[in-house]
Amino acid sequence: MIRAYVTALYQQMEKDPRVCSLLSDSGTEYDRLMIRDFPGRCFNFGITEQNQVAAAAGMAAVGKIPFVYTTGAFLAYRAYEFIRDDVCFQRRNVKLVGMGMGAWSTLGPSHHSTEDIAALRALPGLTLLCASTPRQLAGMVKAACELDGPVYLRMGAGGERELYPAEYRYEPGKIGVLRTGEDGAVFATGTILGEVWDAVERLRTEGLSLTLADVHTLKPLDGAGVLTAAGGQRRVFTVEDHSVFGGLGGAVAEVLAGAGSSAVLHRIGLNDRFALGCGGAQEVRRANGLDAEGIYRQIKAALEA
Amino acid sequence: MNKDLRKDIFLAAWAGGAGHLASAFSLVEVLSALYLGGILKHDPKDPEWEGRDRLVLSKGHGCLALYAVLARAGYFPGEELGRFCRPGGMLSGEPNTLECPGVEASTGSLGHGLSMGLGMALALKCDGRSNRVYVILGDGECQEGSVWEAARCAPAFGLDNLTVIVDRNRIQKMDFIEHILGEDALTEQFRAFRWQVKECDGHDPATLEAALTGPWEPGVPRCLMAHTVKGKGLSIMENDPAWHWRLPNRRERKVFQAELGISDDELRREGAE
Repeated sequence: MIRAYVTALYQQMEKDPRVCSLLSDSGTEYDRLMIRDFPGRCFNFGITEQNQVAAAAGMAAVGKIPFVYTTGAFLAYRAYEFIRDDVCFQRRNVKLVGMGMGAWSTLGPSHHSTEDIAALRALPGLTLLCASTPRQLAGMVKAACELDGPVYLRMGAGGERELYPAEYRYEPGKIGVLRTGEDGAVFATGTILGEVWDAVERLRTEGLSLTLADVHTLKPLDGAGVLTAAGGQRRVFTVEDHSVFGGLGGAVAEVLAGAGSSAVLHRIGLNDRFALGCGGAQEVRRANGLDAEGIYRQIKAALEA
Repeated sequence: MNKDLRKDIFLAAWAGGAGHLASAFSLVEVLSALYLGGILKHDPKDPEWEGRDRLVLSKGHGCLALYAVLARAGYFPGEELGRFCRPGGMLSGEPNTLECPGVEASTGSLGHGLSMGLGMALALKCDGRSNRVYVILGDGECQEGSVWEAARCAPAFGLDNLTVIVDRNRIQKMDFIEHILGEDALTEQFRAFRWQVKECDGHDPATLEAALTGPWEPGVPRCLMAHTVKGKGLSIMENDPAWHWRLPNRRERKVFQAELGISDDELRREGAE
């Protein structure tokens, strides 16, 4: 996904001279080409995330479109007040890109972003995007450039599966319905979508058909789309690589309750705890019951209850 | 002029029933030199003018001084000061760029302004524009770690279009800085971070102007340590930490009136009481 991000940003930098890349010692080998080709528009702020975010707000005040890229945990948590006061409150055209969503790393909770959606969703005027696949992320980078205002883009760290065909066009603001079914509706956000996809396919072979929707735009949330996808289903599920409080589960609950829905909502995610375990994203997900197997079991148990 | 500005500041605070008076009084000469003394390139009739220099008041609580100076410069009518902190007014207790013309950045939480100013200076420099960016920091504010993140970056980016002015009044909210965390060494700290630093009397317009416009080395960000007195210009408020966030009582009010030349009528007209 990192390659998809840098490639998409490179294309935007070619197109629009206002676009800049801001790193906080957070680049990878993919950035080298961009630094070579746009030396006056790529800046490494050193390990100063708060400064990087506020400086981006200052650059936007002078007409730039800065993309602030660093590990999501350091961006959303450490620089939160700077995102709030300097970017959102002042409505600066800054694009914040948090790399490594959910429990993605063997480095543990210090590097995980498993409460960031809850924190960021509350910020007024912040568009919050969460990429499920590299192709979708590329579309989001372009859409973020075209949107005049603060955007937070949540992306994966690498090794994500592509679920969308080459002709896929990212449509901002609308949830993507990937499957329709009779036995319930599942909403997922971010790179965990691959796991959810597998779980839903496995349930289908067992005769349980589920609607599956990709909620890539967490804010503003496509409430009408959520209600349509949930339809008259008795069971609704949300799956996220995030706390069950305040994230996708919270957002869908707000929509359902607000519309007077009588559906039973099952929020699958981290239940008031930090993600445990070592290994790659796959192993950490497994250790926390958020791999395809774990998701399959939780949905199946609820459907059979 | 500067006595009149202090009078404007006091009457605005009096009207609003609140305000950081002592912090604003500390800043009067610095802001007056910049906006009214011809140092800052700006156009009050066109606050968004591309060719303007920019000022970020990082210690946002000094905003009463900024408002008084902006009103004098002609950004908005002076009567607006009488609606400071009042419902429907555009002048809030911390500066808001979305509400008040001439305010370049919203501040309030300390330690944000230098980074925002750094971003502005970086963007201007990228575009080969000659506009300058000024950032006013409080000396107490320099306890925030984020100030030093920005201070570390500015020389690395060669931002000689960035000037920090430290309002060096040695008092923070509760007490003198040295009584709270011991003495700091801000001049040496900025020098150690590879800034060029000058020091001057922050209440002497001629000295301020000479320091700001005088020779500076190219390629290096600038820091002016402006030695000031918190509450300057009002005898009972000067150098007394008790005045960080309060208005005078009935007896003290007489001192303000006498020293700033405010009649009972003027006080009654503005008063929120």
